[in-house]
Amino acid sequence: MPDLFIPSHTRGQPTQPTQKLLFFTSCEEIYPYVSHRSCGKYSPHNPRYLPHSLSILHRAVPEEEAGVNAVEVRGLSRSFDGREILRDVSFAVGHGEIFGYLGPNGAGKTTTIRILLGLLAPGAGEVRVLGRDLTADDDARARVGVLFENNGLADRMSAADNLAYYAGLYGVDDPAERIDELLTLVDLADRRDDPVGTFSTGMKRKLGIARAILHRPEVVFLDEPSSGLDPGAQRMVRDLIIELSRREEMTVFLNSHHLDEVQRVCSTVAILAGGRIRAFDSVTNLTAASGRPAVTVALADPGERARACETVEGLPFVTGCEPDGDALHCTLADPGATPDLVATLVGANFRIEEVRRSSRSLEEIYLEHVGRVEDGA
Amino acid sequence: MSTLAVIARREIRLALRNRSALITAFIFSIWFPVMSALSIAVGADGDAAAVTAGIATITLPVAVFLGYIFCADAFLREKRDGTIETLLCAPVSLQRLWEGKAAGVTVPAYLMMLLSAAVSIAAISGLTGVSIAAEPLLLLHFAAVVPVWIAASAGLIGAAQLALGMRENQILGFVFIFGFIFLIVLFQQIVPAGSGISAATEAVLAVVGLALLALARFIAGKVTKERIVRTIP
Repeated sequence: MPDLFIPSHTRGQPTQPTQKLLFFTSCEEIYPYVSHRSCGKYSPHNPRYLPHSLSILHRAVPEEEAGVNAVEVRGLSRSFDGREILRDVSFAVGHGEIFGYLGPNGAGKTTTIRILLGLLAPGAGEVRVLGRDLTADDDARARVGVLFENNGLADRMSAADNLAYYAGLYGVDDPAERIDELLTLVDLADRRDDPVGTFSTGMKRKLGIARAILHRPEVVFLDEPSSGLDPGAQRMVRDLIIELSRREEMTVFLNSHHLDEVQRVCSTVAILAGGRIRAFDSVTNLTAASGRPAVTVALADPGERARACETVEGLPFVTGCEPDGDALHCTLADPGATPDLVATLVGANFRIEEVRRSSRSLEEIYLEHVGRVEDGA
Repeated sequence: MSTLAVIARREIRLALRNRSALITAFIFSIWFPVMSALSIAVGADGDAAAVTAGIATITLPVAVFLGYIFCADAFLREKRDGTIETLLCAPVSLQRLWEGKAAGVTVPAYLMMLLSAAVSIAAISGLTGVSIAAEPLLLLHFAAVVPVWIAASAGLIGAAQLALGMRENQILGFVFIFGFIFLIVLFQQIVPAGSGISAATEAVLAVVGLALLALARFIAGKVTKERIVRTIP
């Protein structure tokens, strides 16, 4: 079994770094913090009855799940009709992360999600969500939310009735209050009693997201949440994803073609192409130029570029310098060395107009990896 | 409220808001009994017992067909548009989901069947002048045997629609039409004209209905989430 991909920024650390490992065994222990009604319904496996304000309690992790990743995929392979879609795919997503799963059409992204959700069986390898196999585990599925390309809504029912239906399926406490809260959140409160069939694509998508998080899942899988949305609605979805991760400490598994969106919201990214994971790291590390920290320095007098490079090239924290258009492009041994570089240039009487961190866009990195696969490399 | 009731209630509400299914079912519920009434009136020749038996036997194929009409919305449409995939991720077993949907389909189909029976009785009474007495066996037939047959047909068709691909489902539709005609002929053979409604006939029909329901449950238990997901268009 291959090792899990662990993003470099968390290597050497526990894979459950963001959780407060509080564990309450009885109602009396949490009684000072919550209403008696909520307290009576609370169990470590059913934390949804705790109010949002107590987010530490809300995300209390049962003892047996301490150290377990939110999502784990190990050696996953899957074929359809003799065609191998996934080949030995392994990665892990920590609790509270926003994880971007990228890849071209037909790469196997949705297949991975379906296997994680227990809708398809893995051909080889194993998958876990919250340490469980969701295939036949109703309790574990109650802790997971999902938004597929289809929003899971009935056109002939109103927005509120659609949410009420799922609230019934997931056993949401105080569904009316939660439905009002979510309809307000996605800006559909004034359309709550209108049939969903009269909604625009964007409104349906927003309601679909509300449906996916209705039961306050710990992990939510979003398959192309922004597809069909106008720029304003796309921004709303982006903000909502960040808010969910921050306020409710949800782990978000985001499958998206919007690379800009992924770059803006995701903490970690995996690129899937040709059935294999081609890249897996934090967005910061992936987009750092050449994998090393680099800065671009624009001088007031571009004619001094060559002399400026000669000045900094001998410094121990500079690994390279070359003219880049009207500026200098310097790679550094240490990302914290930028102030020292600037001080050296200023000390040598160079007039600096602008300093910016050099990075590549996620799109460039994505196309590079996908292009390599398409070229047969 | 149990998840079974939650699912069934949603299917009932959706069926009652599905204009095209309601109009189709309504037309069928009126047209078919009127056409059948002519045949029953001629065959019964004024015999009240034979008329009662004719009504009882003709309601079963009608019930099965009405179940089929409402299944198209509850099972097939949700599969075609992918909604079923989201429902399969809910903390509800596939068996429970199937049960809830079948129960939800049974209720509107049963209401339509009662309408159809009322039209049948009115048409036959008008044509033959025979008044149909509300005898206990006939009431038992409508209260117990017919719902079991509707549930069995909804369950079987629903399980098949979940398991089969779209092309196979089209073929299933054609097969069902022929099956419907076959059922009518079969019932006319089983219950000979003039014999009247009998406890034995009702018992056999009830047992067959329950057996079909058990078969539907067995088949639904064999359908997997993978099978459903892989046959979503």
